[in-house]
Amino acid sequence: MTLLTWKRPAPENVQTSTFEDLAMPLAPSLYNVACWLSRNPSDAEDLVQETYLKALRGFPAFEPGTNFKAWIFRILRNTYLTSRTGLAAQRTIPLEDDLGELEATIDHQTPEMHLLRLSDQAALHAAMEKLSPPLLEVILLCDVEELKYKEIATVLDVPIGTVMSRIARARAALRETLQTWEARA
Amino acid sequence: MTTQYLANTHLTPAILNALADGELRAAQLDAAQLHLATCPQCTSAALAQTMLKTATAKAGHRYTVPEHLQSRLLHQIRQEPAQSSPRSVSKSAYSFGLGAFSAWTAAVATLLICVGVLFIQHTAQRASTASNEYAALSTEAVDQHIATLAADAPPQVLSSDRHTVKPWFQGKLPFSFNLPENLPPDTTLAGANLTYFHNQPAALLLYSIGRHRVSVFVRQRTGAEASPEPLTEHAGFHVTGFTTTELDVVAVSDVDPARLTSLANLIEQVQAK
Repeated sequence: MTLLTWKRPAPENVQTSTFEDLAMPLAPSLYNVACWLSRNPSDAEDLVQETYLKALRGFPAFEPGTNFKAWIFRILRNTYLTSRTGLAAQRTIPLEDDLGELEATIDHQTPEMHLLRLSDQAALHAAMEKLSPPLLEVILLCDVEELKYKEIATVLDVPIGTVMSRIARARAALRETLQTWEARA
Repeated sequence: MTTQYLANTHLTPAILNALADGELRAAQLDAAQLHLATCPQCTSAALAQTMLKTATAKAGHRYTVPEHLQSRLLHQIRQEPAQSSPRSVSKSAYSFGLGAFSAWTAAVATLLICVGVLFIQHTAQRASTASNEYAALSTEAVDQHIATLAADAPPQVLSSDRHTVKPWFQGKLPFSFNLPENLPPDTTLAGANLTYFHNQPAALLLYSIGRHRVSVFVRQRTGAEASPEPLTEHAGFHVTGFTTTELDVVAVSDVDPARLTSLANLIEQVQAK
C-alpha cells in the first residue's frame, strides 16, 4: 500500500535529525566560548545562531565518523573572525609563536600558594579576560572544552607546535597576571 | 626529544603543559615521571600547572546559554525537515477505516486538508528560513565590506576597465558575469578581489560612488539561496541585491540607497546580454 511509504523517513530527515542530535548538546559550550570571545551576550547569540545556520547548510559535506565538535567549533571560530569584534581583535595584538622567553617563567612557588590564588574566581575571570584572543581561545578549547592538541590544531587551522606554544604562553600570562595582582594585594 | 634527555634535564614549559594536558606519549611520560621522582622543583611546577588547568577549566564555564537561544536554534534546525516531510499526517490518515468507500473518501478528504495545512506551514517556514538566511548573508556581506575598508589594501586586480577586470577571473571562478560599460556620473570601478562568500568562491567588485565605497559580491547560484530583499539596512550599511538564473549578487555600501540600487540595477541589466 502506498500509504505505508509515509512511515519511512526521507533521507534528508535522517540527516537533519542527526545534525540536531550532534549540534544541540554543544549549544552551551559554543555559547560559552562565543561569550568569552565576543565579550557581549548579544553578539554571542548572533555568532552562535550564524554558526548553526552555516553548519546546518554545510552538514551534507561533514564526514560521518569524524570529529563533529572540532568541525562546528571551527565554523564558530571562522564566523567570529569575520565578525566586527573578531576583525577588531585581529588588528590589535600581534602574536609571537615562539617559546624562547618562556623558559624563565616557570613558576616555582609552593602549591599551597597556587591553591590560595586560584580559588579566587573573580581574579581568574579577570586574568582570562586580559588574555589576547588567540591565547584565550586556545585556553578555552584546551582546558574548558578539553579538546586534544590535534583537535585544537584543526579548529584553529595551525600546526600542533603552534598550539603548544600558545598554550604555554597563555598559561605563563595567566600566572604572571595572578602573581602581579597578588603581590599588589 | 629523547626520553633520556627528558629524564636528565628539567622539564620545559611545553613538556609541563603536555603533561598536564595528557598529551605526552608513553615513552615521554615514563621519562618525565622518572625525572619528577627526583626533582622537587619540577614536581612543584607540574603540580602548579595541573592546578592552573583545573582552575581555568572551572572558571571558563562562565556563561549559561539562554533558553530562548536554544529554542531559536532548535526551531531553526527543525524548519529543514518540514520542507520535505509529510510524516506528521501519516498516522491520522492511515488510521481511518480501510474497508468501506465512505471511509476512503473521508481519508482522502482528510489527506487533502492535511496536505493543504502542510503546504501553508511549509510556505511560512520557507519564508522564515529564507529570511534568516538572507540576514546571515547580509551580515557576512557587511562584515567583508568593513574588512575590505579596514584593510585599505589595493584590489587584487586594480583597474577601472571592465575588459581587464572580467577576464582576470578566468580560471579563478567556475562562472562568468558581465560588467556595465556606462556607469552613472561619479561612479567608478576601482578593481576586484577573489573572495569566499558564504563558503563559495565569489567575485568581489569594488566600486566608488563619490567618496563612498561599494562592495558587490557575485557568486554562482545553486538554487538553494535566499532571494535578496530589495533594500535592507544592516549596522548602518545599505544592502541590496538581485538574482538571475545563474548568479546571486549582493551589494553593500553606506552611500545613498537610491544610488546603490541604481548601480545594482545597472549590473543586473547587463547580465541578460
